[in-house]
Amino acid sequence: MRSAIDIPLLQATGLRKTYGDRVVLDDIDLTVTEGDVVCLIGSSGSGKSTLLRCIDLLEQLDDGSIFFQGLEVSDPVVDLRAVRSEIGMVFQAYNLFPHLSVLDNCTLAPRKVHGVGRREAKQRATELLERFGLAEHLRKHPDRLSGGQQQRVALVRALCTRPRLLLLDEITAALDPELTGEVLDAVRGLADSGTTMIIATHEIGFAREVASDVVFLEHGRIVEQGPPERVLVDPTEPRTREFLARVLPG
Amino acid sequence: MTDPAAVPDAAPWTPSPRELERRRVRRRLRVRRILIASVATLLAVLALVAAIVLSPGWERVQVTFFDPEHARESFPALVDGFWINVKMFLIAEPIILVIGLALALVRQSRSPWFVPLRAAAVLYTDVVRGIPTLLLVFLFVFGIPGLQLQGVTNDPFFWATVALVVSYSAYVGEVFRSGIEAVHPSQLASADALGLSRGQTMRYVVVPQAVRRVVPPLLNDFVSLQKDTALVASVSIFDALFSARDYANYNFNFTPYVVVALFFVAITIPLARLCDWLARRVTRREQAGAL
Repeated sequence: MRSAIDIPLLQATGLRKTYGDRVVLDDIDLTVTEGDVVCLIGSSGSGKSTLLRCIDLLEQLDDGSIFFQGLEVSDPVVDLRAVRSEIGMVFQAYNLFPHLSVLDNCTLAPRKVHGVGRREAKQRATELLERFGLAEHLRKHPDRLSGGQQQRVALVRALCTRPRLLLLDEITAALDPELTGEVLDAVRGLADSGTTMIIATHEIGFAREVASDVVFLEHGRIVEQGPPERVLVDPTEPRTREFLARVLPG
Repeated sequence: MTDPAAVPDAAPWTPSPRELERRRVRRRLRVRRILIASVATLLAVLALVAAIVLSPGWERVQVTFFDPEHARESFPALVDGFWINVKMFLIAEPIILVIGLALALVRQSRSPWFVPLRAAAVLYTDVVRGIPTLLLVFLFVFGIPGLQLQGVTNDPFFWATVALVVSYSAYVGEVFRSGIEAVHPSQLASADALGLSRGQTMRYVVVPQAVRRVVPPLLNDFVSLQKDTALVASVSIFDALFSARDYANYNFNFTPYVVVALFFVAITIPLARLCDWLARRVTRREQAGAL
């Protein structure tokens, strides 16, 4: 249960993003409190990924503000790298560095951005990799691993910098059901341990299970948001109902 | 289902005061960046000019290298000479591209019939790349006429051009080969899956991608070739450099060398810009909208 005195970890108000004439995000309001797991659902092109990219300041907003830990990070004078160093992001296509071993992928940012010592960075990365069942792959290069393993490495790489907020951008979209399962298990573990996350996903069942909040997006607008047991089971908006009927089997 | 995109906005969007403020800040930051860039550039240029002009020997250098009178006087001969360089470049370059690509393809071929050819290509690249270009020019211009073959020209221009072609084909062949090898194996797999033959795969899938990738290093070799046309001055062909030396020896003034340098720069810079533009256009067309 959230109390009124919490300062939200992330607060976005009136976000707008366009590519040329196409409005991708339109008047988005989103609040994320410490420990929340927010799931963004909606069909492809609804703006889920763009919203995550805007939050990580990878895209420049056309309007609206984003506050992270009480500081307005959408201010042009803010140091983007300082903000990003506290936010972790995992991409749909893994985006691991193919020329580095699994371990080096995971220790690069802690050592070069956060100034962690080589031994400490290695120890933390090893612990996390072991926790996600990747102990035997430390020295391998990413392209030798399966998609599910690569995506778990990407997850560990994002976690190694101890981010305050983790953004997951459709991280199972390129995986088959079995591999999807192993990655989702990893994310479930993170949710249980209280990691704050915003997850763009097509896995409605998974969202229902881990989300503290579900946000349904359509054409760049938030149609409905609330706890999963309401939005996913008994939505008030007819458009949410239509979407769920399309994506849920039976 | 109605198309939500067709639903007219209740109120058309206008930027919020915060956004307007932000645009002002961005503009201010941009102006500051431009100012810093201008000042930094100006300082760098001033420092360079000062270092040259304030040097003890500057007056002497100015008279021997930067004399407008001598520049004017030598100009017509230099232009005539430079035309030889340009002609040589224009003739050699297309031939080099063809031979270079052929070399790369031969080295990539897998047919057993091509094995002797492949070995020859490897040997050719190894040997030719190891020999200084100037030496090749000497060997061809003086060596081949020395054989006194019937019906073979002794024209130094012809044999100097051949020497450049021989030398640069080896380099360009390696550039093409690295481009071909950089095409991802998945591309070969999908071409195989479509039932394309190896030749067709090369022709329609691999080479087009490879060529795009190697445009910058190819340009590098172009520019290098353009400069190396001046090597022919050493076998007494009246190119720009030879004309400049001729003039310098008669008049005890080195200004023509500077003029020739400017000629070469004047044609390489536009070429570099053109290639940048071509490469950017390809990138834009093929990667539009990708992350």
